[in-house]
Amino acid sequence: MNTSSLRRLHLPLTPDEARTLKAGDLVLLEGEAVATVGMPTQKRMVAEVEAGREMPLPMRGGAFFHMGVCYDEENGRPTRMHYVNPTTSSRFNALMPTLIRGLGLTALGGKGGLSRESVEAMREVGCIYFSFVGGASALLSQGVEKVVDVAWTDLIMQFRLNQIRLSGFGPVTVAIDAHGESIYERIMVSAQARLPDILETLRRPSQS
Amino acid sequence: MAITYDLVKEVTADLYNWSLRRIPESSKAKLREAVATETVPHARETLALMLASAETAETTGRFLCSDAGVPSYTIKIGSRVRMEGDIRQAIVDGFEHLVETIQPPIMRFVTHPLTNERSFKGKDMPLVSYDLLGDVDYMDITCAPKALGGGRWAAIETLVSPSLEDIERCILEMVMRAGGQHCPPVVIGVGIGGTFDHAAKLSKDATLRPFGTRHPDPMVADMEERLTRAVNQTGFGPMGCGGTTTTFGVHIDYASGHGFTPIAVSFNCWINRRTRAKIYNSGVVERIE
Ligand code: SF4
Repeated sequence: MNTSSLRRLHLPLTPDEARTLKAGDLVLLEGEAVATVGMPTQKRMVAEVEAGREMPLPMRGGAFFHMGVCYDEENGRPTRMHYVNPTTSSRFNALMPTLIRGLGLTALGGKGGLSRESVEAMREVGCIYFSFVGGASALLSQGVEKVVDVAWTDLIMQFRLNQIRLSGFGPVTVAIDAHGESIYERIMVSAQARLPDILETLRRPSQS
Repeated sequence: MAITYDLVKEVTADLYNWSLRRIPESSKAKLREAVATETVPHARETLALMLASAETAETTGRFLCSDAGVPSYTIKIGSRVRMEGDIRQAIVDGFEHLVETIQPPIMRFVTHPLTNERSFKGKDMPLVSYDLLGDVDYMDITCAPKALGGGRWAAIETLVSPSLEDIERCILEMVMRAGGQHCPPVVIGVGIGGTFDHAAKLSKDATLRPFGTRHPDPMVADMEERLTRAVNQTGFGPMGCGGTTTTFGVHIDYASGHGFTPIAVSFNCWINRRTRAKIYNSGVVERIE
């Protein structure tokens, strides 16, 4: 795939930059993001936000990804980055509206999308959601320069807050935009609407 | 001659290791086909990225996914097989050794279901099912690691004396529930009939069939074709971002039962990690996938 013509976004985005994107856009990512796949991590984040405390890494107005990161470490510090890949975001649906609003997040990423409550919070704040291709770790990992910093090292590696630097990460799809448009929602609604027809054609014997 | 502890330890660990770095040939062929037939441009780009990434993983030895899943094996044992040593323990020890030595390292995914604690070992891990084969002198071992995305949407429903139409509607409902959450294009395995556990096993085994194979029973083969087309009409598409390629194939198997009919549906994501080898009494190892 020729990616040279794709728009490059530099993270973190400002809310206004986030609003210039539309669901369906294909882009490459530069800059920094914090990634985790941990449920306990995000519960702890919610507790910190609710207690009015700051995160241990710079996250305010930042990019936050549901993505596993594997790296070597020495004395609790990250050294060589091995690989990354997204995880399913929808299982964190209940926690995300608080995090989006509480931290003013401007970009999210993962796979599978988020629920309407998050889409609403994203519209308020000026935040977009990127779909990363699951299972495409071999290519996506080439777009991660290094693991810059980590926090909450009491957790297992992929559950920590892992701050990564991206360079030409992607291509990734804007799957939810800051105007309330979610590709996932649109597709689910249309699949439901098609179902009666699909069941009808199913009854016809196959042509082959 | 016999199949030894050492050999099983080595082969099961190798199968898991290999499975993390390359997708099956029939999946690759399906991806190539889909890049040409998918009608939504954006979905075509995604499929092309998947194919390119799988090829990169294969040639460089990188992992397909950061989620190594948990090791899961299906082992079929020929009735003329002779075994030496604790074969069950060999699989546990093989995994333990692999975890300590594999490069790049894998992360902790083995999860205690009651405490959510994660580590590299746990009760019943690796997950293994054993079947008997007829009069042959080999063990046929398939390794298919399972991760959350590909595992969590599996479902089973038990209907009473259903019609074919009822069964097909039930399958499609389970497909709708999963939507595009399981890293499509997926393989869909369906097990119908028998008992609860039997249907689940049929469904799992059906996911392991290479694409392009048809069920020998024409009625079932016809169902497979019609359901594959139906699933692709839902429009979920690659990664659930829209398109005409949601599944590369619905594979179905059935067993006779009583009037109650369990219908089990399980999925595997597009990387469809699966490796397979036969180990003979002679010690010869034949790599199949
Ligand atoms: S479901 Fe997706 S993220 Fe999970 S193992 Fe498969 S490709 Fe990787």
